[in-house]
Amino acid sequence: MIVAKGLRKQFMVRGQTLVAVDRISFTVGNGEVYGLLGPNGAGKTTTLRMVMGLLDPDEGHVEIGGVRTDIDPIAIRSQLGLISTNDGVYPWLTVREMLMYFADLYAVEVPVAQIRLEELAELLNIRSFLDQRCSTLSTGQKQRVTLARGLMHDPPVMLLDEPTRGLDVVGSQTVFEFIDLLKKRGKSVLLSTHRLDEAERVCDRFGLLHHGTVRYEGTLDDLRTLTGKYHLVDMFIDLIREDRQSVPSPTAGA
Amino acid sequence: MQEYLSNGRLLRLCLKELRESLRDRRTIMTLIMMPILVYPLLSMAMQRLLLGAVSAPSGQLEYVIGVADETTARVISLALRETQKAASEGVRPSIEIIRPAPKDANTNPLSQRLNETNGEGENALNRSESAPGIENGMGINSPTAGAIRTNQQAAFSIVVPERTTVSTSLADGQLDLAILSASVERFPFPNGVSIPLFEFKMEFRDGDPRSEMAMAEFRKAMQLINDYQSALLRGNRLPASVTLVSNAVGQRIDPMASLAGVLPLVLILMTITGAVYPAIDLTAGERERGTMEAMIATPAPRFVLLLSKYVAVVTVAVLTAVANLFASWVTLSLGGLGRALLGERGFSFWTLIQIFPLLVIFAAFFSAILLAMCSFARSFKEAQAYLIPVMLVSLAPALVTLMPNVEFSTLLGIVPLVNILLLSRDIMTGASTTLPAFAAVLSTLLYAAAALVVASRLFGGESATSGSQESWSDLMRRPKRRFPTPDIGELAIYLALLFPVFFVATNLAGQWMLSIEQKLLVNALLLCVLFLLAPGFFAIYRRMDLKKTFLLRLDGTENPNGLPRPVRLLGVFAASCLMAAGLWIVAYEALKLLSDLGFGTIDLQKTAALEEAKSRFREVPFWLIFLTSALIPAICEEFFFRGFVLSAFRSRLHPTRAVIYSALLFGVFHVVNGNVLSIERFAPTAILGLALGFLAVRSDSLWPGILLHAIHNGLLFWLTRFNQSELAEWLGSDSEHFPTAWIVASVGSIAIGIVVLYFSTLKRSDEVSS
Repeated sequence: MIVAKGLRKQFMVRGQTLVAVDRISFTVGNGEVYGLLGPNGAGKTTTLRMVMGLLDPDEGHVEIGGVRTDIDPIAIRSQLGLISTNDGVYPWLTVREMLMYFADLYAVEVPVAQIRLEELAELLNIRSFLDQRCSTLSTGQKQRVTLARGLMHDPPVMLLDEPTRGLDVVGSQTVFEFIDLLKKRGKSVLLSTHRLDEAERVCDRFGLLHHGTVRYEGTLDDLRTLTGKYHLVDMFIDLIREDRQSVPSPTAGA
Repeated sequence: MQEYLSNGRLLRLCLKELRESLRDRRTIMTLIMMPILVYPLLSMAMQRLLLGAVSAPSGQLEYVIGVADETTARVISLALRETQKAASEGVRPSIEIIRPAPKDANTNPLSQRLNETNGEGENALNRSESAPGIENGMGINSPTAGAIRTNQQAAFSIVVPERTTVSTSLADGQLDLAILSASVERFPFPNGVSIPLFEFKMEFRDGDPRSEMAMAEFRKAMQLINDYQSALLRGNRLPASVTLVSNAVGQRIDPMASLAGVLPLVLILMTITGAVYPAIDLTAGERERGTMEAMIATPAPRFVLLLSKYVAVVTVAVLTAVANLFASWVTLSLGGLGRALLGERGFSFWTLIQIFPLLVIFAAFFSAILLAMCSFARSFKEAQAYLIPVMLVSLAPALVTLMPNVEFSTLLGIVPLVNILLLSRDIMTGASTTLPAFAAVLSTLLYAAAALVVASRLFGGESATSGSQESWSDLMRRPKRRFPTPDIGELAIYLALLFPVFFVATNLAGQWMLSIEQKLLVNALLLCVLFLLAPGFFAIYRRMDLKKTFLLRLDGTENPNGLPRPVRLLGVFAASCLMAAGLWIVAYEALKLLSDLGFGTIDLQKTAALEEAKSRFREVPFWLIFLTSALIPAICEEFFFRGFVLSAFRSRLHPTRAVIYSALLFGVFHVVNGNVLSIERFAPTAILGLALGFLAVRSDSLWPGILLHAIHNGLLFWLTRFNQSELAEWLGSDSEHFPTAWIVASVGSIAIGIVVLYFSTLKRSDEVSS
């Protein structure tokens, strides 16, 4: 269960204040997939980082399983799993070594980690290359290793940051199946993506982010009722259009 | 953090980093290939350099002789023509110039060899045997007529320096030899024939191979004239044909010393080279591979993450050092270059064993620096851009150590990199000294600890993950939150700053010509600044809870027993008095025992001076001694060691371990005593530190410790008021030791003090557990 309340974060960029996230609140229940949607620069990654405790919010706070992350940000991390677009692998380690390394980082006892590794090897179909060095893996194989890495400590909450970016249809399908698996296991999943079509397929509820604020929130039906549009893509185009109209430009009205 | 440091988890984390480094071919290349390639090449280059440095420059050489004026030049030319004539008549010189093997640092290798190989040597030139002369009828050459070649080896050109004296030109290196005066007289024979009698006063540069060689060649040439004439005029007793007075000038430059410095520099540079790649790969590389975020999103503390990387980098650096040390040892031993560079002992296996720990310490230091530099780099390229200036900046002082006559002084002992280089050089040439060595090792370890703390704070920080503009400056920023006490990281940084300042200050103070009273006051002032004011300001700046950090409350017991407060306080202070009453005797006896066992640094020959110092010390009013040597140290040292240091250790460690570490540190700081190293002070001071730490932890207050410390120091200094006979009379035994009854009583007093303290500070939790 994730509860974010009034999160705000600003950065200083070349002497100017840039508000990346402006008082965002949302809740993700157990077994629920929440889509944090928005174009590039909407504040999705910053929000995820605050949920992870990698960034301290300037205002607001996050609760994971009822415990505020700012009270003990380190301890709360064992409750979270993270899979991101940019995730890489250690080229000189074997898959097994890498997964056991992350189990150690999450302080999972060795026998427990070994059982979990076997289970994940079956589930994500990575057994055949468990003892191969990561540098020899294909993109799809690397992706499955990354997904396994996120589950080595069996976290109740999973954060997915643009997990399908750069993947082909087969790769994306693996991710969708993975999300289904998470859901079935009752995990709270926070998914950030700008692939709205995919989001429609896997998310239970959505938060549409634009310029660091949540513009619409709810299930797909709620949003349809709210905006009068059928697809998320159309809702977004409306948002961006509103944005353009509100900013007068030299060519406006021409 | 405990769960990461236990169950072999830290070891597994380290192993992962090591695997990652050692499976990378680039690391292996630096580790194995470089030493295999570098040392043979270096050995060849050194051999050439060495030949050039210590032996005669071979081939057709031309030496420049400076003369004061034209007249002198004519005399020299005349003499040189005489040598040509002698050579053309087939006279062989009776002096052979031998290319000398090095070396005894204090003697001139060249002149020594000349004297050894030719028993007559220089004296031959001054012998009063010559022959009836023959008028040679040669004209005197103009100085500008070009070089005069005396034989197949050497030629001399004669110049008259303009604007400066010959001595100055010689010192500047423009000349190889300087002739201050030259005269020639004709010695007439009854048959109308005369022979020239020359007299020269000359100078050459001491220790400069070229100048020394020029001198030797000139002497050899002049000897030729003597030999020629004594052969011609056998049996006639005459004044010497050539009288030569030569003088070595300038500060002697030992070419060997600078060459001996090359080896540590190469070893250290190679160790650095070994560490650079893993340091970048394990930090900036994580970010570039996209594994950084996943790693720092785990609950593993950053210090643990960095520590495992640090262990891996140090291991690779040490492996590189071992490979290099071994390769250089093999190269130097096989090629015989070791003896040439390092004297008769050569590069022995024992030297290798001594150098190794230094390289480990250096690897520990530089790996931490590298990690600190790379920790906020976002890519390989960026990390390299940070490291290159660091390497260049560290090379500059390193090259200083190659300069001849750079002594490993006490103050250089705290200059990072330079200290290890000079210490290695001195160990190799067998000339190391204790105090700078101690300073070098301790300061390097402290710098390493501080750099590691800095690295762990930078590693995976916001600057490395989110692209914001934060960086090094954040470390210095005042924290927004209040922290109750300093942590071990802050302690490491403070110690790395404190130790060099403390070391330099105590040394400088020891060198000033001050009266005893002034010295006492300066020492007290130093203590106030370094151990009281500076940590105080540091704590205020870092928003620490002063009362908690420095245990300032009189009665800090948080969970008191049922005793009324005054009784409890009385118990604690009585305990400190009882412990103090016994500890000073134990400390005194321990000091005596260690001195007797040979750990003392006070030279027996200096006993008279010591006695004199003692008697002057007795003239100082006791209130001043008590103030500067007992009360002020008690306040300042307790404030720092039982306040700042103990609190920092207690923030992470069990109180018992915290007390032990703070006591060890307390002992180490007392070993540096002005400009001498008093090893024997370590154990007694550390024991006192244990007692004081125990007192501070039990009472949660600094004040009982201050009382104990002041009484302890006061009594020890009170003892110095008496001279030997007074002491003997007073103690009723030999003046060296306390009577056994006293020692037993003092141990008893300490024991009672501990019991009283224990019950006065008994907490409810203690009762439950007991």
